[in-house]
Amino acid sequence: MTSNFSGALQLTDLNDFIAPSQECIKPVEVKKSIPKKGLSKIKVSNDGSYMEVDTSGKSKKLQKAEITLNDCLACSGCVTSAETVLIAMQSKDEFYKVLKENKETSPEKRKIIVVSVSPQSRASIAAKHKLDVRKAGKAIDAFFKSLGADIVLDTTFAEEIALVKTAEEFIQRYRDNQSKKSLPVLTSSCPGWICYAEKTHGDLTLPYISSVKSPQQILGSLVKETVSSHVNKTPDNVYHVTVMPCYDKKLEASRQDFYDDIYSTRDVDLVLTSGEVEEMIAGECGTMDDLIVKVDAINNNASTDEPLSHGGGGSGGYLHHVYKHAAQQLFGVKVEEVVYKPARNNKDFRDVTLKDADGKILLNFASVYGFRSIQNLVQKMKRGRCNYHFVEVMACPSGCLNGGGQIKAPGGDRELQKDIFSSVQIAFNEIPPTEAREDSAVNQTIMDYDITKSKQLFHTQYHAVEKDETLSLNVKW
Amino acid sequence: MNETQKDNLNPLVHQRITPRTRIKQPAELDNDVRDPFDRREIFDLIRDINDPEHPLTLEDLRVVSENDIEVDDEKSFIKVSFTPTIPHCSMATLIGLAIRVRLLRSLPPRFKVEVEISPGSHQSEKAVNKQLGDKERVAAALENNHLLNVVNQCLTIKGNSYETTV
Amino acid sequence: MTPTLDCVASLNDHGDRVWDVKWNPKGTLLATCGTDKTIRIWGKEGDKWVCKSILQDGHQRTIRKVGWSPCGNKLASASFDATICIWDKSSGQFESAATLEGHENEVKAVAWSQSGEYLATCSRDKSVWIWSVDDEEDDFECAGVLTVHTQDVKDIAWHPFEPIVASASYDDTIKLFKEDDGEWLSFATLSGHSSTVWSVSWSKDGRRLVSGSDDKTIKVWQKYEPGNMEGIATKGETPTWKCVCTLSGYFNQPIYCVTWCHQTDMIAACSGDNSIIVFREDESSGDSDPIFSVVASTQQAHDQDVNAVSWNPTTPGLLASCSDDSCIKLWKIEIDG
Repeated sequence: MTSNFSGALQLTDLNDFIAPSQECIKPVEVKKSIPKKGLSKIKVSNDGSYMEVDTSGKSKKLQKAEITLNDCLACSGCVTSAETVLIAMQSKDEFYKVLKENKETSPEKRKIIVVSVSPQSRASIAAKHKLDVRKAGKAIDAFFKSLGADIVLDTTFAEEIALVKTAEEFIQRYRDNQSKKSLPVLTSSCPGWICYAEKTHGDLTLPYISSVKSPQQILGSLVKETVSSHVNKTPDNVYHVTVMPCYDKKLEASRQDFYDDIYSTRDVDLVLTSGEVEEMIAGECGTMDDLIVKVDAINNNASTDEPLSHGGGGSGGYLHHVYKHAAQQLFGVKVEEVVYKPARNNKDFRDVTLKDADGKILLNFASVYGFRSIQNLVQKMKRGRCNYHFVEVMACPSGCLNGGGQIKAPGGDRELQKDIFSSVQIAFNEIPPTEAREDSAVNQTIMDYDITKSKQLFHTQYHAVEKDETLSLNVKW
Repeated sequence: MNETQKDNLNPLVHQRITPRTRIKQPAELDNDVRDPFDRREIFDLIRDINDPEHPLTLEDLRVVSENDIEVDDEKSFIKVSFTPTIPHCSMATLIGLAIRVRLLRSLPPRFKVEVEISPGSHQSEKAVNKQLGDKERVAAALENNHLLNVVNQCLTIKGNSYETTV
Repeated sequence: MTPTLDCVASLNDHGDRVWDVKWNPKGTLLATCGTDKTIRIWGKEGDKWVCKSILQDGHQRTIRKVGWSPCGNKLASASFDATICIWDKSSGQFESAATLEGHENEVKAVAWSQSGEYLATCSRDKSVWIWSVDDEEDDFECAGVLTVHTQDVKDIAWHPFEPIVASASYDDTIKLFKEDDGEWLSFATLSGHSSTVWSVSWSKDGRRLVSGSDDKTIKVWQKYEPGNMEGIATKGETPTWKCVCTLSGYFNQPIYCVTWCHQTDMIAACSGDNSIIVFREDESSGDSDPIFSVVASTQQAHDQDVNAVSWNPTTPGLLASCSDDSCIKLWKIEIDG
């Protein structure tokens, strides 16, 4: 089985869930309430299902037990395929199921369905259909509304909150660093990187990872908070779906940190990848042209807002924004253009430095994409040779526009994939960047909440995963 | 999976039918005569291995039996087939490892030992057999202290076990 | 009756299973490693082979394999403790110069590229890592992590002159990797073995690969360029690799190591059945259907499994072997013609 997860995830032990050498250890539920007549044996039949054979020789097929992702993650010695579980729990089929149930429910009990689309996914779908990215955005908007979504959002808004919050945290930590070591700030929006850091380099990296939630999870909190209060319902009555360039985002949404115990609801209920949405469009509408016709017909229904974008590339623009902001705030330098210097032999490891007139380094930033680059960053930190103040870390080579959930070249053709990637970049860059913070709605939203609430909505924490093998008899060897 | 939950809550416990003592043939008592290994000796080595989950031995659970052992002393070859109590038993690799380690520690090094799951008795039969047959994986596993502890517990004769008289 | 191998020396110092044996590029030193967590360096003093130094405290667990740098001044060791140690003898004595971390668990093999520019390592974590070597700063930087195998990767071998690396795995396949536009990627999968591939080795001209497997067979694979005379189908610009010979029935247990001698073109293979067999291609055999025959063999080369064999790169027909019986042996094969 080839895994869809990013390279970082594939290497951690988590991958033992993902590509197991053994099957799940609890696939058969034996109902204990039924008294057994005499002795029976359980046999594996040719098709892999379990047969219970009783003394008279009759065999009966046993039911497979349903396993949730929580079972999976709670199982210390688990050898189950979390990917299979994720596919089942966070799939387009699950989405269709929810939509169908919602339609069949009485109006007052219906959930509000919110779909939030990332700009990277929009660019992927636009490139696939050679559409203007604005038009693609409208088409996606109309598509989800035709399926039964009540609100369709752009995640760029939350991305901007994340940028502002990350810059705030950086300035604070840069100043703190005079008294205690609190740098570098490592970005936190990439779930593949977070998962890898928690699993393998907890003590080394976690203290430096930014506490700011990823845009997906910021929007998750805001949607459950604001939409539900707006319509006077509890958060579990809002069903929030995000469309992401990334498979690992499904795992992020499943984190316990983003689960509301009171209402038994997740901040983000379901994550669909760009590729999955593309499959849905193909399944529902046949061709994109049919969809465009539909969009034009119901244009008044679709959002007319111009989508937003910020500079610094397709991975959220963290380095770009924090660098400019810090140069201004800390040294009074207005940076017009951020100049990246790629490392020898590695275009995915790039440095950005701000020097004073004497050539003394004031700010030393890096953008580090792909598992290989992450390795070199971690090794630098381990050997005490990491002099960066800020690092934008993403698990995928070339960053999020090249995410594992983006629409892929058929058959994995490498040359074709390169072409696809460059057209996704072009589509993404069609929206001219605006500087974060200029958007007053973002500032307004941030100002709306006091420190406690703000912490809850925009910040999170990380947990080193202890490799406590003594917990389990099922230790892998 | 819950730690306290066992794969098979109520395993069938079999009677220990094989007699524990046997009368040695004169040749076996003669130190000058080379005494070839037979099934029974191999069985005696592995019958008292404890199940990792239950306070029972592999013999009690009929995971191993004398009939499932092949010995060719001439060719220094031994094959042990074992039958997990349930086809999805997650302990299968661990049980196999314990059998392998017991034989590794007890037999002269000339022996080539195969430990395999009885055909058709486990869903991951092929995968488990391959892992148990990989000497590099077995060697690495035995350097894992936790795993070694678990294996050693399986190999420790429990107080309530029968006296083994050879 | 095929000639047997002549045992010319038996070295016993490790006291435990010896996993690997490798000649240095000059053929003057032999490095061995094993369960005792040490590396021993052997050299000849007069007529006798003696242990010249013992490298210890580099690893916490078994040392599985060792690899010499092409200049012979460095030795890399791969250990079950998930790390790779680099030993440097530029100063005269071997000293631990660097430790490479990154693999999740047991590192199974390590090999230096012929140019000395790269180091490749592989592990039970299913990955193959390429490290770029900065000799001046003694720095090793991760240049690629390849996760295309679905299981434990057992062995790796660099092409004799191109930057291409072959890996052998528990997933029964061999994969080939090369660099393209700053990125390492897999460009060929060689399927045919029915169980774990334990070992791979290249022929001198780099057109062929030999592999040894748990399925008790040896396979010889050959490269076919696009537009080849034989009409073997290729895809695009990439050559196709095809198994041109399978040697079966020679071994009763897994084949743990195969190695192709670049001086004599002989292939040595060793097995869990305690034997070592040396093969060579018949002179009359065709390019696309080569026939390999036994030129020498020894059924009881060791008292237990033979884990590795290594051809001396300068003395034709001198072979070293190591075993679970804790012995290292040197063998001489007389070749006529």
